[in-house]
Amino acid sequence: MNLMQIHNLTVQFGGLRAVNDLSLDVRRGELLCLLGPNGAGKSTTLDLICGKTRATSGQIVFEGQDITWLKEYKRARCGIGRKFQVPSVFRELTVLENIELARSRNPGILDSLRVFRTPIRGRVREVLQIVGLIDMVDTRAGNLSHGQTQWLEIAMLLAQDSKLILMDEPTAGMTIQETLQTAAIFNSLKGDHTIIVVEHDMQFVRQVAERVIVMNQGSLLAEGTIAGIEADPRVKAVYLGH
Amino acid sequence: MNRNNRADYLGHIVFILAILLGVPALLGFDGFELNTFARYLSLAIVASALALSWGTAGILNLGQAATFGIGAYVMAMHLKLVASAGNPDGLPDFMGWNNVTSLPWFWLPFQSLTVTLILGLALPALLAWAMGIFMFRARITGVFVAIITLAFLVALQLWFIEEQRFTGGQNGLTGLAPLDLFGWSVDTYSLGFYYLVAGCLIAALVIGSLIVRSKVGLVLRAIREDSQRVRYFGYDVARYETFVFSTSAAIAGWAGMLYALVLEFASPTYIGVAFSLAIVIWVAVGGRESLVGAAVGAILVNLAEGRLSDMFVESWLLILGVMFILFVLFLPRGLYGLLRQGFGRIARLREGQGPKDARAQESAQ
Repeated sequence: MNLMQIHNLTVQFGGLRAVNDLSLDVRRGELLCLLGPNGAGKSTTLDLICGKTRATSGQIVFEGQDITWLKEYKRARCGIGRKFQVPSVFRELTVLENIELARSRNPGILDSLRVFRTPIRGRVREVLQIVGLIDMVDTRAGNLSHGQTQWLEIAMLLAQDSKLILMDEPTAGMTIQETLQTAAIFNSLKGDHTIIVVEHDMQFVRQVAERVIVMNQGSLLAEGTIAGIEADPRVKAVYLGH
Repeated sequence: MNRNNRADYLGHIVFILAILLGVPALLGFDGFELNTFARYLSLAIVASALALSWGTAGILNLGQAATFGIGAYVMAMHLKLVASAGNPDGLPDFMGWNNVTSLPWFWLPFQSLTVTLILGLALPALLAWAMGIFMFRARITGVFVAIITLAFLVALQLWFIEEQRFTGGQNGLTGLAPLDLFGWSVDTYSLGFYYLVAGCLIAALVIGSLIVRSKVGLVLRAIREDSQRVRYFGYDVARYETFVFSTSAAIAGWAGMLYALVLEFASPTYIGVAFSLAIVIWVAVGGRESLVGAAVGAILVNLAEGRLSDMFVESWLLILGVMFILFVLFLPRGLYGLLRQGFGRIARLREGQGPKDARAQESAQ
């Protein structure tokens, strides 16, 4: 069953078509990898889905609802979460405050006025344990190491509990071991959550991907399993050969 | 509750005890001195209102005096009507001088004290809400908010001066009746009035602190840091910003009502640029991250202004100016930032961390 359908999506920046007539089905519970050379439109596709960029034409349907023109906070309320390329935790807030912010099931003001503390139990405790930050809840996020910052952001995504998670290079700047741990987390997320990942690290892609989409110049070039993609001569020509 | 919060709570208690017990005792329960200090306390309310929007959400409202002034005029209009009750048609004297023959419709609601008290909060809040929708939906932030609110302030002041028939123009509203607060005839030189203002300040601080310490405060601090990121968690950023902007305006209106009571007149200078910028300075001195800090800043600067202008008749403004420059240069987080740093250092020394480590953590903050 499809969680999201993208129909003939196009976005034009001046003379450049960053995404050109892209159509794509995203299945519920799958982990989809977006590959492609620089400028292929991978990050722009994520931007279009989460609302950072508005489409020039085309349609995005999420769970049967046309979200093409929805504002970004409304898309988030529909269940779309986004992790950016640059770690974007809130550096002035503590680890626990970052998690509380991400727990946004009731994002209205009247609901927020009644919340005064974040009990460290249940899902919050679980999430903090998964990423190994359980002993650092009162640390300002700005004082974390680069790796810990990445972990915090993943913890925030877990706490947000989105149906669809969009990740832009989640393993950038991670050590090999951290990358492996991240892969393990992703594999545990599959099924309950649908994930779209933009990633350059082919080793990571081999670990997690079920279905791979290769983009080139804003359009879909190839689609298939990782083995099929790596054997595809067109993909080799534009991307993997480099 | 972590250590820093504990220091905060301690500070709040000390502050409340000081204004409830310390100040009246120090002033020897002298009516004139109490009245002067009640003026400082009403200014402390508007300062903490600005800290609520500026310190928490990063919305620098340079037009805070506009909502303050509206509150002051609302209260003065009521007291003017009470004072004019003996005139034909209950018409205020200045209207007669300006050839107004009957009471304008928008003056009528202010005959009732209850309506006046409600409007003193609601009018500033509604106005800020309308401005907030316009600004924050359009995602206007930072310095542009400051410019728009400042421009609004100037326009509002000009309008109040221009419409002399209805507002008293440059003279403002004078010759007011004393307030009859549900049977209590308020003497503004009494201890009772001092406690009314002090109680209002504490209530305003409690309301503000509840907002800041709730998740709303958390979302607002996150908005200050990266509003775009907050949207991807599903929060309607514009609505949060409008909420804190309006709440701040309502509290400023509340302060304005008290100010008109203390000074027994309302003047267009309350809606002036100089006054509005003064509020910003008080908050900067006290520390914009803390509501109580901002209140202390307002009290201290006004105290200093009073004392310095007595001692140095010629040069007091210059001395005050130099003090502000020193504050901005060396204490950008105000007195509150200084205290917080001090507390943090003591706590770390107690935990036995090396001073080197402590310094590293401090520079990171």
